[in-house]
Amino acid sequence: MFAWIKALSSRALAWLSPRHVDQEFEQELDAHLDMLTDENVRRGMAPEEARRAARVRLGGHTQLRETNRELQGLPMLETFFQDTRYALRMLRKNPGFTAVAVLTLALGIGANTAIFSIVYAVLLKPLPFTNPDQLFTAFQANTQLGIAETGCSYPNFEEWRSQNHVFSELAGIVAHQLTLTGRGEPSVVNTSVVTPELFALLDVKPLAGRIFFPQDGKQDAAPVVLVSEDLWRGRFGADPKIIGTSIDLDKRPFTVIGIIPAAFRTPFFNTKQEVWIPLVEDPVFSTFMPKRGVHLLPALGRLKAGISVAQAQAEMDAISGRLAGEFPAENSGWTVRLVPLQKEIVGEVRTELLVLLGAVGLVLLIACANIANLLLSRATSRSKEIAVRTALGAGRVRIIRQLLSETAVLGLLGGTVGIALSYWGVQALSSLLPSSLPQMNPIRVDYFVLGFALLLSAIAGVAFGLVPAMFAANADIQNTLREGPRSGESRNRRRARGFLAVAEISLAMVLLVTAGLLLRSFARLTSVSPGFDAQHIVKADISLPQFQYSTPQQWAAFSEELLARIQSDPGLQDSAVVVPRPIVDLNVNLPFDIVGNPPSSEGASRTASYVSVSPDYFRVMGIPLLAGRVFHQHDVSSAPRVSIISEAMARLYFPNQNPLGKQITFGYPRGSGGATREIIGIVGDVRDVALGQDPGAIMYVPFAQAPFWGANLVVKSALSTSSVAAAIRQEVQKIDKDLPVTDVAMMSDVIQASVAAPRFRMFLLGLFAVMALVLAATGIFGVISYSVSRRTNEIGIRVALGASRHTILRMILRETLLLTFAGLAVGLPSALAASHLLGHMLFNVSANDPATLAAVAFVLAAVAALAGYIPARRAMRVDPMVALRYE
Amino acid sequence: MAGEKSEILQGTLDLMVLKTLETMGPLHGYGVARRIEQISEDALQINQGTIYASLVRLTQRGWISGAWGTSDNNRKAKFYSITRAGRKQLNTEAQNWERISNVIGRVLGTAERG
Repeated sequence: MFAWIKALSSRALAWLSPRHVDQEFEQELDAHLDMLTDENVRRGMAPEEARRAARVRLGGHTQLRETNRELQGLPMLETFFQDTRYALRMLRKNPGFTAVAVLTLALGIGANTAIFSIVYAVLLKPLPFTNPDQLFTAFQANTQLGIAETGCSYPNFEEWRSQNHVFSELAGIVAHQLTLTGRGEPSVVNTSVVTPELFALLDVKPLAGRIFFPQDGKQDAAPVVLVSEDLWRGRFGADPKIIGTSIDLDKRPFTVIGIIPAAFRTPFFNTKQEVWIPLVEDPVFSTFMPKRGVHLLPALGRLKAGISVAQAQAEMDAISGRLAGEFPAENSGWTVRLVPLQKEIVGEVRTELLVLLGAVGLVLLIACANIANLLLSRATSRSKEIAVRTALGAGRVRIIRQLLSETAVLGLLGGTVGIALSYWGVQALSSLLPSSLPQMNPIRVDYFVLGFALLLSAIAGVAFGLVPAMFAANADIQNTLREGPRSGESRNRRRARGFLAVAEISLAMVLLVTAGLLLRSFARLTSVSPGFDAQHIVKADISLPQFQYSTPQQWAAFSEELLARIQSDPGLQDSAVVVPRPIVDLNVNLPFDIVGNPPSSEGASRTASYVSVSPDYFRVMGIPLLAGRVFHQHDVSSAPRVSIISEAMARLYFPNQNPLGKQITFGYPRGSGGATREIIGIVGDVRDVALGQDPGAIMYVPFAQAPFWGANLVVKSALSTSSVAAAIRQEVQKIDKDLPVTDVAMMSDVIQASVAAPRFRMFLLGLFAVMALVLAATGIFGVISYSVSRRTNEIGIRVALGASRHTILRMILRETLLLTFAGLAVGLPSALAASHLLGHMLFNVSANDPATLAAVAFVLAAVAALAGYIPARRAMRVDPMVALRYE
Repeated sequence: MAGEKSEILQGTLDLMVLKTLETMGPLHGYGVARRIEQISEDALQINQGTIYASLVRLTQRGWISGAWGTSDNNRKAKFYSITRAGRKQLNTEAQNWERISNVIGRVLGTAERG
């Protein structure tokens, strides 16, 4: 081993001073020759003859010197440099070819790198926590109720925590918004409500101060808060003395104990969290803490070292079995589901990202096929050069190596430009990313992504270079040398070019079909009626500080006063309060019973979305009344309890009956004796969850009878959003100057934003499909124009023999269309297979939508025909005299 | 590009050069070549130039070292001598060679008998 290293270093040294090595060797050989000659003379030869005999004895001088050079230098490296130099020279000599190839490849590599940087950050890179593969989420599930995944109740969480032996720590975490007042304008902050163990569990080091201690979670602990670095720098001007001071959340003072670094991402939540408080201090969630039946708290656990998921699951199963026995009313039917944190965070995005990666990979494949085709045609014109090299003694391997060096250099050039493009691409992409995309790790071109890009360009270089190189090395030297490069190309090579063109078309078809389906799906999604008129509706949120407005009476009074004030403004008469609003807010699904009907069995529970609205809501939103009446001013808390249901709810739960006058009971949690309400009206369906989801059963209740701790406003107004916002702010401040008015936006904009993810997919796939189409078109154009230039002679003969121009045009177009149809024939089944991968990404469009398929086939055929027509016209104009003299 | 046959030959030649330098002390290329020819009683007909490839290889591996000096008849020549690493290598190689030639001898012997 040591000797080997020594040899290599000695070679490297010799390689650095080749002249010296040569000189010394010459001297040695001279000395040897002299000695041999001397001996021969001693044996009695004439000096002349002695010298000659000595030369023979020593062996061929040139050969010896070559061997010595090979031994003393680094021949592999030398060949490599030589090849690279030669490759660069060849590329410089053909600037047109080089530019096209590098650009094509750069686009392919750049797009792939950009998409890969997302895939890497979201799917592959470990979460930014210590030992992230030990992190699991613990959900509760209830198959009888059809609940796949929900949080646990706090009492259950405590039992899990104290009884299990598999997790080193468990923490619970929920989030909502609280009002931050004092120190500047009142505002709403994203608040994570956690059990104190969370930060220790995730091994978070505070920027300043401390993280939560267990005693911060005790019932009578002083309220403490951790603030984010961003909030500290922004709102508090990076106040170095903030630790120990107090801030007001929902009008209650909390002592700041620490600053959490900006890089920290709170698991489960895509939005940046601004403050963290212990669960016990939260105005809303703390009220649920004693309730074993309220499943609200998702738990995060760190497995002890050496514990497998199966062991952990078995332990948790045992614990939930015990709990079900102990508290059957709240816990029977409830099980525990452990999901790796990364998997939980990534969710459905995985398939979507992989589809994007696959699509962009296809673009690169097409780009490679295109360059391979260019190289094949160049290889044909370079066949004479190759033949001369072969005749001079270059082996097959040597020729392939030289040609591959050329494509590798090309690949690296393309890769370098592509990487530069990808930096820009990632920047452009990050402004388009839908907010639903989890970004625990920042999306950027880091070393791993760079490595991927370089590897990809190297692979691409070999991929598009190998086939042409092998063809070139196999060329028939004799014929090439005799006939010159203008002779017709071999049948195999023509077949390879045809094959590449067909492959390009079929790959392009796959992309066009998937993009077409997503486009159609998106068009359907955005043209679907949400069941209300979102035009000119402004939404605004006013959240009431819990510690100041703590009773439902206060909530109802506030919203009544607010509505009265706002509606007195002539521009804002059409306003209403609604919690939650369709699509833009999270819906609340509640179980209910119908009085007089047998209570639903546990297996088939009746649930509906629960929406609390002020009387004018239906008018403002343009939701039609189908039967009965809407709410009016007299439906207050002292009046009989009433409810309005949606058409879907009537259809679903009151088939063939008149629901008007029927009574329904609901409350949360179930069976806690909620209010009984009479159904007084039926209104039109509304898509309450998402545009892409069918309208569900909805029951509306009067806000005055079921108030929330805030007012989610909808205002229909011809005024601009900003003037509506100003007017609302003015009225709100008159009631309470510390109330922030937040999230003011046009309803239609918010709905547009709700389809950001499908729009993002559609945009990217559309972009890739266009790239594919352009590449495939240039591919066909290249193949056909090359074919025409090869066949100039033949065409000339045909014309001379009387073929009409149209016959020639037809001939060339037939060649084009033959390739195109072959591509379509291969592309169709591949496209169908690919489109089925889209699955849930398609809305109201079948994966084998015939209209999309037909449109794509037509577009491809038309573009291909156009690409073939340009060279075909040139063929048509061939002058037989010129063509025949051409050779 | 070296075939298997020439590789065996190459190794053999290297071994002979090492052994020659061990027995004879410092020698120039011509001397090594002459010595091998003499010992083999001209059974080994090689171009004397071939010896230089062997000398380069052995030098690179650090088994011999070369220095310019003056020959008996006052000619400037490069003299090679075996190094300590070279003696060790020679030892190993010689044992290897012995073992292999024994094995080959036995195999060929059996083949003849069978």
